Amino acid sequence: MYPHDALPDDVYARVAEKLAEAAREDSGVARTIEAGVSALNGGRPFAELSADEQLKALKGLEGSDFFEFVRSTAVVEVYSDQRTWHLVGYEGPSFDKGGYINRGFNDLDWLPDPEAAS
Amino acid sequence: MSAQPDGHRPVNRFAADDSDVIVVIGSGAGGGTLANELCQRGAKVVLIEAGRHHQPEDFINDEWASLNQLAWLDARTTSGSWRIAREFPNLPAWTCKTVGGTTVHWAGCCPRFKEWEFRIRSEHGCIDGVSLLDWPIGLSDLEPYYDKAEDRLGVTRTNGIPAPPANNNFKVMGNGAKRVGYTGVSTGRMAFNTVPRDGRPATIQDGFNYQGDKQRAHWSTLTSEIPKAERTGRLDLRPESMAIRIDHDDFGKVTGVVYVDAEGNLRRQEARVVCVACNAIETARLLLNSASSLFPDGLANSSGQVGRNYMRHVTGAVFATFDKPVRMYRGETMAGIVTDESRNDPGRGFVGGYYMQLHSLGPSFLATFLRPSAWGRDFAQIMERYGYMAGMWLVGEDMPQENNRVTLNRDVLDQFGQPVPNVHVDDHPNDTAMREHAYAAGESVYAAVGALRTFRVSPYPTSHNLGTARMSARPEDGVVNEFGRAHDVPNLFVSDGSVMTTGAAANPTLTIVALALRQAEYIEQQLKAGAL
Repeated sequence: MYPHDALPDDVYARVAEKLAEAAREDSGVARTIEAGVSALNGGRPFAELSADEQLKALKGLEGSDFFEFVRSTAVVEVYSDQRTWHLVGYEGPSFDKGGYINRGFNDLDWLPDPEAAS
Repeated sequence: MSAQPDGHRPVNRFAADDSDVIVVIGSGAGGGTLANELCQRGAKVVLIEAGRHHQPEDFINDEWASLNQLAWLDARTTSGSWRIAREFPNLPAWTCKTVGGTTVHWAGCCPRFKEWEFRIRSEHGCIDGVSLLDWPIGLSDLEPYYDKAEDRLGVTRTNGIPAPPANNNFKVMGNGAKRVGYTGVSTGRMAFNTVPRDGRPATIQDGFNYQGDKQRAHWSTLTSEIPKAERTGRLDLRPESMAIRIDHDDFGKVTGVVYVDAEGNLRRQEARVVCVACNAIETARLLLNSASSLFPDGLANSSGQVGRNYMRHVTGAVFATFDKPVRMYRGETMAGIVTDESRNDPGRGFVGGYYMQLHSLGPSFLATFLRPSAWGRDFAQIMERYGYMAGMWLVGEDMPQENNRVTLNRDVLDQFGQPVPNVHVDDHPNDTAMREHAYAAGESVYAAVGALRTFRVSPYPTSHNLGTARMSARPEDGVVNEFGRAHDVPNLFVSDGSVMTTGAAANPTLTIVALALRQAEYIEQQLKAGAL
């Protein structure tokens, strides 16, 4: 759902783990996920589809409880992963590194300081 | 008193049947400041706080983990046409449940109200569907307290405190604003230290303003007001204590507060005066949940105005991508403002004004809020431009409406068996017109410095919650008088943003603090006069 080619598969495997964990903790969630997975595998197995076909299958489920549960889990997991942070250019926790006061909080050099500029 | 490092909870400083104490419910901007000011003036104060007593070293530089640590996540429901009811139905507001309340995740923007913002109704007359009312006070009444509040909060550009330096994100917004002709462009009046002051250090530009300031450079009631109050020996802070009802006697005076303590026991604290400062949603809920045979529609609610006129500001955000790096997350999150649109000019198609303020989110929150429900390769590619992105927040005056209101949802009970608050909001056409104007203005600012793409971000749960126990000159128009004293109940006060008759464009904290300082002085005078 949030494809970043440069990210290792493990980032996405962790989303699956999170979903499995949620299913173990809540039988309602487990039923939602089972129903969604069977719908995705309704024709040919989802894993055997081409990327375009997979996307089409997902779009068919958009708005369903299953889709929204998977999407909302994935968006949190993928974008809270340090490997994603590194990929998109985010440095994560800063306090234990002394903040950015000496590490470039104002190092943007393609524009002047607006208050100093006349 | 707070929990001790060894984990033993100390006994309360004041006895449960000490009817001489003032009970303040809620330890945020209003309650925390009021509690300290009352202690400084010699009063005994029991400060009841639903959240835990976290310390700055406990705060977490990670958006979701921090949200789970600090945010008020107790059950709430929503209704109405606002997008929040669809996109975040159980999180109408992003407030905090912790000692220090929402000051803990406050970025520190400190505009004052403008003179005309106290009397929007007189300026514009009636507007369809709007329950506008003038404040019973004006700017001149509040100015001396704004002065005190700015000194107390250590607001930059006041009291000789140096201005914040320009960070990367501000260089983009500020230059764009100047190029389109705006002149009120600066790094702002901010409640964080640019130099060491008041026992707290200067900022290390570490960002994470919404996650609690580990450095203590930001003013909060957690790191400033409450420790000062504790040093007087007259503060009894009770964290993890959820107020569920305010009791009264047969004469209609309040007598005490019933709360559930950290161990789940029902407790009652006697009180001479009760001050409610639970943030607008919970303040209204507590008053409504305190209904009795004498006050069948809720405590202090003979006007029917408790919970009504809920305001949250017209908000929105604009993010933009550039072909060169920005790294908007570095430095103080909101240290930048454009003030030109905070003027009274109905020629723009709406009443009231708005500010553009610097704003950034980490990838975790940005992915959730940039386009709620978005997914797929296009979205992932936008996220890959994160390091090249700049951001601003738009905040302006929204119109009070009678039916934008907090009510009790008796179908949903919280962990204490109490009906949860339902928050109903319909956007008013004035709000929508302002938001559209602000989006376009924000986009033009970024276009002026070469934005590749801009993104209009719809309002997400915000921390500005106002109006649900508004001030009014006449008792039939509102809940409290100009000092926050309930029209119906002489020894009951409201001490948070709930009292705001209208919301102005300004971030509310500075005004909440100023009102709390004014209220403390009034309570002391009334006590001395034997009127409480």
